[in-house]
Amino acid sequence: MRLAAVDAAAQALGLAPGLALADARARLPDLVVVDHDPEADLRLLERIADICDRYTPMVALDPPDGLVLDISGCAHLFGGEAGLIADWEALAAHLGLRVRPAPAATPEAAQALARFQTVPAPDEQAALRRLPVAALRLSGETVLALRRAGLKTIGDLAARASAPLSARFGEKTTATLARLLGMRDSRIVPRRPLPALIVERRFAEPIARVEQVLTCLDDMSAEAGRALEAREAGGRRFAARLFRSDGAWRDLRVETGLPTRDPTVLARLFRERIEALADPLDPGFGFDLIRFAVPVIEPLAPSQLRLEGGALAEGELAALLDRLGTRLGRGRFRRFRPRDTHVPEQAALALPAVIAAAPVAWPRPKAGEPPLRPLHLFDPPQSIEVMAEVPDGPPHRFRWRRAMHEVTRYEGPERLAAEWWRRDDGTPGLTRDYYRVEDVRGRRFWIFRHGLYGSEAEHPGWYMHGLFA
Amino acid sequence: MSGFAEMVAATNFSFLRGASHPADLVAQAIALEQAGIGIADRNSVAGVVRAYDALKQAREKRRAELFEEVEFKLAVGARLVFADDTPDIVAYPADRTGWGRLCRLLTLGKARAQKGDCTLYLDDLLAHKEGLLLILVPPEEEEAAAPVLERLAAVSPGAVWLAATMRYRGDDRRRLARLKRLAETQGVPLLATNDVLYHAPEQRPLQDILTCIREKCTIDEAGRRLEANAERHLKAPAEMARLFRDVPEAVAESRRLLDRIAFSLEQLTYEYPHEPVPPGWAPQDWLEELVRRRLPWRYPEGTPKKVLKLLKEEFTLIRDRNYARYFLTVHDLVRFAEKKAILNQGRGSAANSAVCYILGITAVDPMRFDLLFSRFVSEERNEPPDIDVDFEHERREEVIQHIYERYGRHRAGIAATVIHYRARSAVRDVGKALGLSEDVTARLADTIWGSWGSAVDDRKAQEAGMDADNPTIRRLIDLSSKLLTFPRHLSQHVGGFVLTEGRLDETVPIGNAAMDDRTFIEWDKDDIDALGLMKVDVLALGMLTCIRKAFDLMRLHRLGDYALATIPAEESVVYDMLCKGDSIGVFQVESRAQINMLPRLAPRKFYDLVIQVAIVRPGPIEGDMVHPYLRRRAKREKVDYPAPAPEHGPPDELIGVLGKTEGVPLFQEQAMKLAIVAAKFTPAEANQLRRAMATFRHLGNIEEFRVKMVEGMVMRGYERDFAERCFRQIEGFGSYGFPESHAASFAQLVYISAWIKCRHPAVFACALLNAQPMGFYAPAQIVRDARAHGVDVRAIDVNASAWDNAIERDGGCDPALRLGLRQIDGFRRKWADSMDAARRAGAFATIEALARRAALPQRALRLLADADAFRSIGLDRRQALWEVRRTPDAELPLFAAARARELGEETDTALPTMPLSEHVATDYQMTRLSLKAHPVTFLRPFLDAEGVSSCAAIGKARNGAAVCAAGIVLIRQRPGKGNAVFVTLEDETGITNIVLWARLFELFRRPVMSARLMLVEGQVQRSPEGVVHVMATRIHDRTRLLDHLVDGEEISPPRRLAGHPRNVRILPASRDFH
Repeated sequence: MRLAAVDAAAQALGLAPGLALADARARLPDLVVVDHDPEADLRLLERIADICDRYTPMVALDPPDGLVLDISGCAHLFGGEAGLIADWEALAAHLGLRVRPAPAATPEAAQALARFQTVPAPDEQAALRRLPVAALRLSGETVLALRRAGLKTIGDLAARASAPLSARFGEKTTATLARLLGMRDSRIVPRRPLPALIVERRFAEPIARVEQVLTCLDDMSAEAGRALEAREAGGRRFAARLFRSDGAWRDLRVETGLPTRDPTVLARLFRERIEALADPLDPGFGFDLIRFAVPVIEPLAPSQLRLEGGALAEGELAALLDRLGTRLGRGRFRRFRPRDTHVPEQAALALPAVIAAAPVAWPRPKAGEPPLRPLHLFDPPQSIEVMAEVPDGPPHRFRWRRAMHEVTRYEGPERLAAEWWRRDDGTPGLTRDYYRVEDVRGRRFWIFRHGLYGSEAEHPGWYMHGLFA
Repeated sequence: MSGFAEMVAATNFSFLRGASHPADLVAQAIALEQAGIGIADRNSVAGVVRAYDALKQAREKRRAELFEEVEFKLAVGARLVFADDTPDIVAYPADRTGWGRLCRLLTLGKARAQKGDCTLYLDDLLAHKEGLLLILVPPEEEEAAAPVLERLAAVSPGAVWLAATMRYRGDDRRRLARLKRLAETQGVPLLATNDVLYHAPEQRPLQDILTCIREKCTIDEAGRRLEANAERHLKAPAEMARLFRDVPEAVAESRRLLDRIAFSLEQLTYEYPHEPVPPGWAPQDWLEELVRRRLPWRYPEGTPKKVLKLLKEEFTLIRDRNYARYFLTVHDLVRFAEKKAILNQGRGSAANSAVCYILGITAVDPMRFDLLFSRFVSEERNEPPDIDVDFEHERREEVIQHIYERYGRHRAGIAATVIHYRARSAVRDVGKALGLSEDVTARLADTIWGSWGSAVDDRKAQEAGMDADNPTIRRLIDLSSKLLTFPRHLSQHVGGFVLTEGRLDETVPIGNAAMDDRTFIEWDKDDIDALGLMKVDVLALGMLTCIRKAFDLMRLHRLGDYALATIPAEESVVYDMLCKGDSIGVFQVESRAQINMLPRLAPRKFYDLVIQVAIVRPGPIEGDMVHPYLRRRAKREKVDYPAPAPEHGPPDELIGVLGKTEGVPLFQEQAMKLAIVAAKFTPAEANQLRRAMATFRHLGNIEEFRVKMVEGMVMRGYERDFAERCFRQIEGFGSYGFPESHAASFAQLVYISAWIKCRHPAVFACALLNAQPMGFYAPAQIVRDARAHGVDVRAIDVNASAWDNAIERDGGCDPALRLGLRQIDGFRRKWADSMDAARRAGAFATIEALARRAALPQRALRLLADADAFRSIGLDRRQALWEVRRTPDAELPLFAAARARELGEETDTALPTMPLSEHVATDYQMTRLSLKAHPVTFLRPFLDAEGVSSCAAIGKARNGAAVCAAGIVLIRQRPGKGNAVFVTLEDETGITNIVLWARLFELFRRPVMSARLMLVEGQVQRSPEGVVHVMATRIHDRTRLLDHLVDGEEISPPRRLAGHPRNVRILPASRDFH
């Protein structure tokens, strides 16, 4: 196992990614280690990319730790490149992120400068030329070969004719170099396709009231509707993203069965959506940007509904659960699930029906065999007085709820030991001996002796735990 | 004798199922007064010998203490678990034939499966049923057993039982009635059993944990995969009678079944294979004949009288003990190796005999060394003699395959090694099963029970910041401590072969090993010992490879023709060299501790080397025997012998034991003999003690022995301190017991390798490099040492180097060492060989010529260029690299020729010159050594600024001087108990040894563990013999300075620190990018 990433404190102590975990622990026995979770890293990166959507819709991921933003034509909204970077740095600091933004003419140059620039330079070209060849992000083997050839900086490479270079280090090297230096065109591929239609509203003063948001959404749906009308199309999905000034955002999504562009319908749907939110729309210090997008557009041509309607047989239960859940609350109705344990009272678990929606198979008793578990369980089991044989003989008679019962027939014991691993006192716990007994009147009971006679308890107690039908 | 015997008991050799040791089961069954016990593990008989041994010991103990016999019978068998739907069947051999069948059945199943598994079908059992008594264990749905039961009853009438258990599941009595009906229908008796998983109910938590480990789940998820209760333990006969009161005949049946079993492991008699004895000869006569025939070879000038006398004694002993076949078997192996020119040497008690010397099994001449042969057979243990044979490590596999070929796989097998849980794995597995997070377990497992500890205890948990009172942590500690003693799986022994005349697979099951072409038996060396089977150890030794290569080189370059036994003995220059501690690369005495010991012990004769090899070992060190010995040897202390009080024995009773070692016990035999002579152990007890020590970790209780030995000696008037030291020494021997006989054989190789190093340093370095990986040092140190001895070491070059390192002798000069292409990381042998072939037609004048003629791929060329191997073509590393990278891969000559012109026309690119420091760094990256300079040379200005003294200066500094040392870290060690950490630093002038006390180590752990380039402040400590150490007071990590070697390049990324010192990279490999 090797270290995948280290925090600033660990770095200061000399740890670096790539070090074997055993070695790291040999140096720092009290090192705190968490499992590497590349998916979680990627999710975080995606979330940060989402935040950066506020600057431009053209955001590309540069995993594992980079983002590339195409801010052509966007920067002026933030007062130029410097303003945008300042804004981002402030926002990132607020989010607890440490970032290294670098503006440049090409994506490669920006990536290289962000990662490798250590000394300031008068201009971008000079800065690029000072970077080490590693900034080309070629394979380790190529970078090493370049350095061994004495070509240690981008400037060393840029000064040379490209033909001998590509003969030795491959076309890719010279092509990457050209893109880095802006001599060859290069674009980023945004991480998600741009929606078919986008409408944006920016606010110099963030808006903080839900009513204002709704008004704004109405306005924007109308604008989107007009645009759709012009295209003779309607939207199937509508998404509004509300950017809060502190970097958080909320998404509101609405989906319709049929394409639509009717602003009143959309406005109503959004209103319902907001009202149905589990936790209310918290504007905090206010929203400074709302983006309204229509990702899926279909031609809006009226089509005939089917007369007979759709069959719902399979979905009916789910639909019922949805309806009940909406009306009564999700946690209000439950469903039993079997649990794999020897302890009888824990063998069935009542879970909210929405979680335990799928039906599960219960263990079935063998055909012709009597049931070993009663229909009804007492919780907690009720203490009873019993006359029984020692050490593990059956009860002869017992007193339950002030009535004496003579046992005529019995079967058992079924011996269930306690779950030693759940006990806090370190003892193994008492074992139960269960009997199925029948009294003179033919009533059947499930009773147990608590503790093995002699080895676990001197006078084991007896309990009534359940009733058979 | 009681009326019940448990016939279905699993031990912890039913891995991850059984939760008791075989010995505990036997002891408990005896304590419960059962009539006997049947041990049956899942498709295995791996645990039965331990049960057998436990019973034997219990009998002896009872006899000694109560003068009674234990009436108890052990039945050994296996629980057959089938790959088809057949329910489990427990099989016991009724007689020796049955045992053979059972073993072959298991061998068959194992041959079908991967390592450790066994795939059996019911038809296999039916084909091997002869002599087997079968117990069908009914499955959950007992009716399913009916057809199988019917089949079994039909083919093995009278030898089939149906097992009945009372499981406490509520329906026991109904089930019992059903089983009874089933048994009656099939005319098969019902057998009462408890289907035992452990000896006592307290083992339930452990068994639950085993279940979780097996099912790979936590105990919370395990649910009904766990047993519902703790009933599957051994129960007293009365309890069984009570439980089975409905069918008392089923209880009685257990006795009847037990009585039917007439097989005991004692019946496994061993017979040596007959191959080594030619037809018409009796083994003893043949042995004597062989020795006679070879006498002139060993003693061309006539056999000395002493040897003849020795031989006579030895022959008598061998005849009395009937050991001729053993010697012949070993001789047979050695002869094969000799024929194939595979160097080998025997060691072990029996190896130091005149017979072995004359047969060529060893090279230790009995004429010169007074090693008592009779010691090899400890009279008390009637065990076969012991000879281990070491072979060249590169060629041992040939010997192994020869054994399989000669004796057949059904007659030869490697012994097993029982792999036990280690502290780390036990904690991790138990922690996982208890549902502790990986982090908590890793913390306990990695940092606390890491490389330097093995026991699991509270204190360590507290050190790790765990609350030992927390019930879960408590359970973790308790259960892991128990699990620690458990076997985890079987693996193959390093080289212990068992060979038999009859079918080995009718004595013990044989299974596939993880390695291809290897098969191993189910018993380990203790089991083999206990049963008196014979084992030959076929081991691998790197130094033999090195010596053979050195002999070959010497012959090739007309430097002499030698064999192990013909190296000129007792040359004083060799001892002079060793006395200086100049022993890098020399067998056994090259470690730091040994190098320091050499000047102090100052060996002057062969026996001194025997002591030298034995003294730097845990035994003498733990027993605090090293310093007394050194003082007495240096005549600074009077040699006296500890003596008992006059009323207890003669004052000179230990002279015979300790005479050769100045009155200080150093060898394992001496320690054992001490127990017998001074503490009045019986020889059998001493032997038990030895075995208890060897398996100390697994069997635990040695306290009994300690009391017996220490008190025994004190009672007889010995000083308590001496007695305790003796016992500590025996403890120290533990698994590293080092007897004199081994030391003697090793000392022989010490002398031979030292002789080669002393007389032919170039050859020695060359052979050592070609035998890598082996030994203690990295190529850089070997090369450096060779140069220090005046060897001309030449760089790798395309026009001079072959795959192997080679000796060059131009015009009778001293031999020079030419580095070979194998030193280049990642280079392939086949490239080197095709270069070699192409070079015969003349030197390569250009890179293109090399690429074309040797058909080298681009990758090979790049490695050669990076290794700076084109100097003879007039290109340095950078120029070569620039050229190579545009040379196309090997292609048809026609096109290549056409292309060559094209390639020629390129203007000079004028690359900057590569500075020397960068050359050196790259040399290290490519070949882990540089002939150009030492990396520290370039850092000297920085180090001077910090007031650092060179290693050479420190070597001359006065005792107690405060110094600042710096260098590249070669080795870092924390030997033995870990009281001190040893670090070796190297700079351009030499090496400095740093000692750091454990307390300071904790303070400077980070720099100590992470520095490649270390700066140490401390004081010089100079011993009277001139051994210099720096006692560190502060440690600094100066690794960053290395970045100065290569302009603008960071060459100090992290590296793997653990592992063997010879694999340590001073500079990271070129492709070590992360």
